Amino acid sequence: MPPELRRVDGWIGFGLLLAAGVAVPLLTHDSYHLDVATVTLRNLLLTMSLRYVMSTGQLNMAHVSFMGIAAYASALLVTRAGWSFWAALPVAPLLAALAAVPVGRVALRVSGPYYFLISFAFLEVLRLVFNNFFVDYLGGPSGLVEIPPAHPLPLTGGAVTFTSKLAQYWLMLVLFLASAAVLIRLEFSRFGLVNGAIRQGELLAETLGVNVPRYKLGAFVLGAFFAGVAGVFFAHSQRVLHSSDFGLEPMVLLVAFTVMGGAGSVWGPVVGTLVLAVASELLRELHHYEILVYGLVLMVVMLFFPDGLVALPGRVARWFGRGRAKDGASTLGAGLAP
Amino acid sequence: MLLELRDVSKRFGGLQAVAAVSMTVTAGTIHGLIGPNGAGKSTVFNLITGVLPLTSGEIRFKGERISTLRPSEICRRGIARTFQATTLFREFTVLDNVMAASHLGAERGFVRTLLATAAYRVREAAALARARDVLGAVRLLDAAGLRAGALPHRDQRALSLAMVLATGADLVILDEPLAGLTTQESEDAMKALRALRAGGKTILLVEHDMRAVMGLCDVVTVLDHGVRIAEGMPRDIQANPAVIEAYLGAEDTRA
Amino acid sequence: MPIELLVQALLNGFGLAVVYVLVALGLTLIFSILEVINFAHGEFYMLGGFAAYYLFAVGGLNYFATLVLAVLLVGLAGVVAERLVFRHLRGKTLNAFIVSLGLLWVLQATAQLSFGVLDKSVPSAVSGIVRVGGVIVSRERLLVILTAVALITGLYLFLKFTRTGQAMRAVAQDADAAALQGVNIELASALGFGIGCALAGAAGALLAPIFAVSPTMGALPVVKAFIIIIVGGMGSLPGAVLGGLLLGAVEGVGTLFMSSAAVNILGFLMVIAILLLRPRGLLGAA
Repeated sequence: MPPELRRVDGWIGFGLLLAAGVAVPLLTHDSYHLDVATVTLRNLLLTMSLRYVMSTGQLNMAHVSFMGIAAYASALLVTRAGWSFWAALPVAPLLAALAAVPVGRVALRVSGPYYFLISFAFLEVLRLVFNNFFVDYLGGPSGLVEIPPAHPLPLTGGAVTFTSKLAQYWLMLVLFLASAAVLIRLEFSRFGLVNGAIRQGELLAETLGVNVPRYKLGAFVLGAFFAGVAGVFFAHSQRVLHSSDFGLEPMVLLVAFTVMGGAGSVWGPVVGTLVLAVASELLRELHHYEILVYGLVLMVVMLFFPDGLVALPGRVARWFGRGRAKDGASTLGAGLAP
Repeated sequence: MLLELRDVSKRFGGLQAVAAVSMTVTAGTIHGLIGPNGAGKSTVFNLITGVLPLTSGEIRFKGERISTLRPSEICRRGIARTFQATTLFREFTVLDNVMAASHLGAERGFVRTLLATAAYRVREAAALARARDVLGAVRLLDAAGLRAGALPHRDQRALSLAMVLATGADLVILDEPLAGLTTQESEDAMKALRALRAGGKTILLVEHDMRAVMGLCDVVTVLDHGVRIAEGMPRDIQANPAVIEAYLGAEDTRA
Repeated sequence: MPIELLVQALLNGFGLAVVYVLVALGLTLIFSILEVINFAHGEFYMLGGFAAYYLFAVGGLNYFATLVLAVLLVGLAGVVAERLVFRHLRGKTLNAFIVSLGLLWVLQATAQLSFGVLDKSVPSAVSGIVRVGGVIVSRERLLVILTAVALITGLYLFLKFTRTGQAMRAVAQDADAAALQGVNIELASALGFGIGCALAGAAGALLAPIFAVSPTMGALPVVKAFIIIIVGGMGSLPGAVLGGLLLGAVEGVGTLFMSSAAVNILGFLMVIAILLLRPRGLLGAA
């Protein structure tokens, strides 16, 4: 069925996210748990937006760079230009999206593994800039410190401050749900259809009337915008920015979460991020063993589930002999061909 | 005169693939493009559809110069094509393949899509209806939910044709539409193509099956080594000594 | 500027770059045969460094024997990795990248658990310096350069003149066509991966006496290797050499004029320039 007709799936999925998100603070007020949940939501926003870009076939390794651009922009707007957090919140992601236009255009001139490499080059260059240049503004190797939290919001019954973990969680939840609503809506619309077509056959899509570069750039810029939203939240919750927050390590983690969950489905990043967040918590005590197990998990999952964990229910169903290929799922068992 | 090629040339480094080819395709006809292997036929298709840039010359469609447009722009003006190797969106279902093709013209409207406005819904419904019509026309409506990659060859070719039709193109360019089909399937396909012509479409095709070409085409253009060596009605082409020479020459070298 | 200063700078640059070329050659060999970007490549470099540490520094084995053994051991590790893991991922670049990321973590964590996190130093294999005019180079560095050049030449000869090497090149060009011609793809794949890792291991063992050995030592060389192959052309072996020469020259001369932080950026700027002007790399296939 075409995506537009499957949009009920989108509503259901969004409803589940909403319910789960609201349930968390009802179940726990523990500071640590709320922090983990907040970080998970932030990662969810990043992986879902990364996945949107990847759905057009662009493996963008510079995704966190746009998070960084918005983070630094917001921090500077608030600390240097005296802006309110609430004014910086829409503007900083827009700046990240603007920056994404020339970067995306350049990256689009190459394809496949070269695209991967050029975006990786952008990632590193921007990280080096964050670390070594404009030190007066960006803080240099010691980072940018003393970023204030979100400014208090005047609401009925007094102002709401955002210094507590609980308040930060709610803020992130609202930001996440608003962003996820857009990304899910797009997925189950003609944009989702065209993106999938581009991923499967650029030339074919082009000769059928799709202006492929324009769509790819659009996806790239949109992804950068939502990475920027995560970045603004990051700046004002962590309250310290360091170039390593926007470098290779966080980026490959995002890619791992996304691909492990399954880059072919809008729910893949959700599954991947949640599973790995839980795994990370369970393994936390093990220190070096944590990384070892993490790595093994990654390898095993990717070898046995090349389409990601989100394909698991489909695989199980086929094992029991039921059903045919769902929309968007590719061939069975492609991972272990002899 | 729907499509006009004027002195079109294409050079790949040292190789002259197409040399000063001129050709006109009249609206409402089935126009054949034939020639021995390597004659440049697929290159001409790539030039017309904007997949390759011209080295020199001009291509006009409905009087407008299209030689410098990108393929998606050319498609919007009314030209759509199939490929020699059946190209589909293999992971998509049959219906999704055709829906992807029928979204032509729905470029604007990011916000409208987000909010699913009435205008958006109307356009979506129209695209779905058109997709169903086209699938019905190639008799693939029952297969609408199957994965395109899982279809048998014959159905994949039909799907390609359906996608081309879904774009609403006036000029349909087919690269070897009968390749790999049985005699009966070829007959059916030829009937379908004649029906398209009757419905007002113009068809430009490359085909190696000479019987089909002779039976189907109103006009035939012959290429050899990138040069146009003949053009005219099938009967005349068949008797043309230069054409016979070109094919015989190819026969010899093929030993 | 005195000419000796320039020559010295170039020599220092080349001396390092030639070793990074080994790493780059390994990476590009693996990519050309399996179409896989092995993100864990730096870990094989690290294994080579530790092999040198345990065999030479701790075990007291002759340095040349250490080199040979290190290369063989790391090469073997590469073959094992290919047979167990990567042969299932041939051609699936994205999945292979994630799996290699997992492998990187596994190898890193194992190394940290087995060897400890601290740097370990390895003594020089040869001591003393050589002086030509105003230019000074330590014997150790000279040994490194000569060995690296020998390995690069050896690889070239192997690929060009032996049956196996030619078979591997055929697979790199077009795996399907090579299979039709009877080439054993499995063998080419395993050997290619093994040799690629062996080259990285050699680089690690060669640089062990010059830099400290630690579980994280593989990170920097792999980044340099990526720069080299992007500039030189992915999948092109002569391109890797050319890219390495360029990087060595640029970084060598760069250290005369700017801080090491800025020099690091130079490499990436080279990458961006290449990708803008000639995306396939200087000698890459179209």
